[in-house]
Amino acid sequence: MAEEFNTDGMLDMFLFESTQLLEKLEGIILEKQDAECFDDSDINEIFRIMHTIKGSSGIMLFENITKVAHKLEDVFYYLRESRPENVPHLELVQKVLAVSDFVNAEMDKIREGNKSDGDEKEIVADLDAFLKQLKGEIKEQGIKLPRENKHEEPTQFYIAPVASPDSLFYRIVIHYRNDTQMSNIRAYSATYALKEIAEDLLYSPEDIISNEESSEVILSEGFYMLLQTKNSKEDILALIDSVEAEKIDIDQITAEQFGKGLAEINHEPIMPEQPVQAAETPTAAPAAEVPQTDKSKPIAPGDYVVKSKETGKGKTLAKNQPKQQSIISVSIEKMDALMDLIGELVISEAVVLQNPDLKVPGLELSNFQKASGQLAKITTELQETIMSMRMMPLTNTFQKMRRIVFDVSRKLGKEIELEVIGENTEVDKNIIEHISDPLMHLVRNSVDHGIEENADDRVAAGKPAKGTITLEAKNEGGKVYISVKDDGKGLNKEKLYAKAKEKGLLGTKEITDFTENEIYRFITLPGFSTKEAVTEYSGRGVGMDVVVKNIQGIGGRLEITSQEGEGSEMTLIIPLTLAIVNGIVVKVGNSSFVIATSSVKQFVRLSQDAIVTEPSGEEYIILRGTYYPFIRLNKKYQIEDSQEDIENGIVVILEHEGKQICILIDSLVQEQEIVVKPIPPYIKKVRGLSGCTQLGDGSIALILDIAGLIEDEERS
Amino acid sequence: MKTLLAEDDFASRKFMDKYLSQFGECDVTVDGEEAVDAFMMALEADDPYDLVCLDVMMPVLDGYQVLKAIRDIEAGNGTPKEDRVKIIMTTALNEERNVKMAFELGCEAYSGKPIDVEKFEQVLKKMKLI
Amino acid sequence: MAEEQNDKEEELLEEDAEKGKFMTFQTGKEFFGISISFVNEIIPMQPITKIPEVEDYIKGLINLRGKIIPVIDVRVRFRMEPVEYTDRTCIIVINVKSTVIGLIVERIAGVDTIQDEDIVPPPALGKRENEQSKYVYGLARTGDTVKLLLDPEKLIREEDIQAIEEIQDEEE
Repeated sequence: MAEEFNTDGMLDMFLFESTQLLEKLEGIILEKQDAECFDDSDINEIFRIMHTIKGSSGIMLFENITKVAHKLEDVFYYLRESRPENVPHLELVQKVLAVSDFVNAEMDKIREGNKSDGDEKEIVADLDAFLKQLKGEIKEQGIKLPRENKHEEPTQFYIAPVASPDSLFYRIVIHYRNDTQMSNIRAYSATYALKEIAEDLLYSPEDIISNEESSEVILSEGFYMLLQTKNSKEDILALIDSVEAEKIDIDQITAEQFGKGLAEINHEPIMPEQPVQAAETPTAAPAAEVPQTDKSKPIAPGDYVVKSKETGKGKTLAKNQPKQQSIISVSIEKMDALMDLIGELVISEAVVLQNPDLKVPGLELSNFQKASGQLAKITTELQETIMSMRMMPLTNTFQKMRRIVFDVSRKLGKEIELEVIGENTEVDKNIIEHISDPLMHLVRNSVDHGIEENADDRVAAGKPAKGTITLEAKNEGGKVYISVKDDGKGLNKEKLYAKAKEKGLLGTKEITDFTENEIYRFITLPGFSTKEAVTEYSGRGVGMDVVVKNIQGIGGRLEITSQEGEGSEMTLIIPLTLAIVNGIVVKVGNSSFVIATSSVKQFVRLSQDAIVTEPSGEEYIILRGTYYPFIRLNKKYQIEDSQEDIENGIVVILEHEGKQICILIDSLVQEQEIVVKPIPPYIKKVRGLSGCTQLGDGSIALILDIAGLIEDEERS
Repeated sequence: MKTLLAEDDFASRKFMDKYLSQFGECDVTVDGEEAVDAFMMALEADDPYDLVCLDVMMPVLDGYQVLKAIRDIEAGNGTPKEDRVKIIMTTALNEERNVKMAFELGCEAYSGKPIDVEKFEQVLKKMKLI
Repeated sequence: MAEEQNDKEEELLEEDAEKGKFMTFQTGKEFFGISISFVNEIIPMQPITKIPEVEDYIKGLINLRGKIIPVIDVRVRFRMEPVEYTDRTCIIVINVKSTVIGLIVERIAGVDTIQDEDIVPPPALGKRENEQSKYVYGLARTGDTVKLLLDPEKLIREEDIQAIEEIQDEEE
């Protein structure tokens, strides 16, 4: 269904424009939700948006949308004209959001090819009541009511076609006999015959009637047509007068190919099929060139078929504009396959460029070097492009959270402000899809359980009456941290313990058997909920255990910290399954490791006396009066043939979240951008390793997980 | 309601003729030129049409040309805007630029094909034709 | 949905063509067989990147045209004495329920056709201490040797369970 609708340019434009307007609207609303009132420019803008939506939906005959937009436009008309004071801002915000939701829902239906059948009466009545109240208020404030907002009924309408069964697309090439007279007229009659069944028809050369020279082009290159129809090949063939035709080729093509137009498609191979009518004498393959049309020429009556399409551009007109977030959807699998292929390419490149054959002394290689430099540049760009294709900012996801905080806090009667940090952090698209729900749950949880029921309780505790929830995203050490922090009541360990015990989740263990962190983790156990009644917002039958499961599903984890009375923080830590990290490749023995450049503080060469050995055998490094835990990678990972002597190796000082550690490596190889790949799940997790990567020569390096190393060291 | 239908495709013509006839007299032409002639004849006979439905892809004169011709004739006669004949374009060419052009030329409605009769009727009502 | 079904159908078709075919390899004196439907390809020995702190039979990672896959040494897996790799040593890349793993084997023997009815269950385990018996689901005689037929799912699955347990340990 959706396919057909995509061929409707008008509907596309309507959906596209309205979606953009609504996004803008939501943007204004959410930005100003906590303000006292809308300022003049907001009011103007919202008025304008509603006016436009009203107008275009009127033309498109979506009456329910028109009515709703109309009403809201009225509201903002009075706000704009009379500028009353003390407008109930929150109520207004909710009204606007309700309208936006309604229109969005209707547009979804339209997009899916369904009827826009939402009932607008309730919203309209609600807005009417609000408007009445507003007018009363205006009078009371002694402001003259402006004259009624005059609505002009649309005088022009667009009737969208009904969805119909799948259309087929064909490329038709007719070659006429060399001695054919007036082949242009023959070609024209072919187009004319096809119009009977055509839903759309493009042809080339296009000026067949007015330009007699076109007959020569047709004779030498053939006459090309692209046809959209529901009829079969046989039907088409029956319609085309084949008297003078030497050969008629009809190939089915895809809608996509059709959309590209003639100039493009002639270059493209179409699945070879038996020509419908075999040629007696094979002619040379037609040249792919198609005369270019004058694109700047405005269309005028009489020019409808081809020129409106701009040969070669086809239907890209509307599609050239940025369309929502995703223009086409490509399965991640295909992207992965492409990614792997590029990996292969990089290796092959290395094999070619570092080929031993090139090392023959006396070879003149300057041209080769130049060419290989170019090749290397392209492969790098290719790699970066595919990478960037998969990365998306969290902006949209965070925008959704704003909305949730807004909705839930109003309904619970809590005053909450949402602070957003780092919404531009880019995350693999795959991951965004997986974190949206868990994140939503965490945010709801914070609003519902985190922030105190009662503003008075907050004031009594010396906190501002208004609660704050902070949503923060950052990219650190190859991982994405997304945290939801509230300044609410925090978690109460005793209560958590008692609850878990009561639910029979703990057996006989005492509270003292658990660390603080372990107690906080109780809330992630299945069947645990600290609230007696499952509330509408946090409950919904899924608990934190589902959040944890989902996050683990993508190789991440949830961390909980809390300070009773001061608030809690839930942090999702998600690996970038596929990300470029700037890394430094180092060697220990024969093994290569990669350290994220961001965690390296310093490389130093130290002498033996910088090492302090404790009686337990544990080693420390003293550098400028500071003690650092010291890890010999070769010892930790049992690597043979490596530098034992600190004086021959290199000490790297690493830092993660304020903690520092030193490691000993043999040598530095180079700094480069690396593609993080997960260690195959078949292999159990190794402490201190977060993934692996493929180096330019095809060998594999392991990526050090600095946080893991530090944690490991702290444990021991 | 008196309608003039210009449509070269037989199937569409048959369908539209039948559909429009339920609202009153419906004259049919098969090309653009004939449509302009029919329009003028009706004007001269002082029995003008209330509605003109124009296909776009038609021989001799296409729908846009007919639309423009009709509006030009009306302008020449000094017909006030509200008394102009209502014109609906009926075509599968629903590319936005085509629609915009038709609107600029002064049609009242633009209907994609296959025609959504429910909405078509809605538009007729809005134009106070039925 | 439709795609999934197609996949399944294709799989079924493939299975049909591959039914009864076994890739056989030799390790020590014994011959093993693995249903060819699990075998993706056979590649010569590759440079292997060692991974620290893993079971001894996991030899590390190889780069299979951009895809990083783990390789295990079948001899070590079966608790047999490891031997030096030679130029006959091969890696059989298998795919078991989307887990792709390389098996390092001493020598590829060939492809044998073994009918279902020719497969006999392994003798009751009794006191056999052989680690390999865990993964053998049947025996079959072809030519003059007996092939021990491996159940690759078991070969993999046990790992999974172990790995999950370890992750859980870590969590707690």
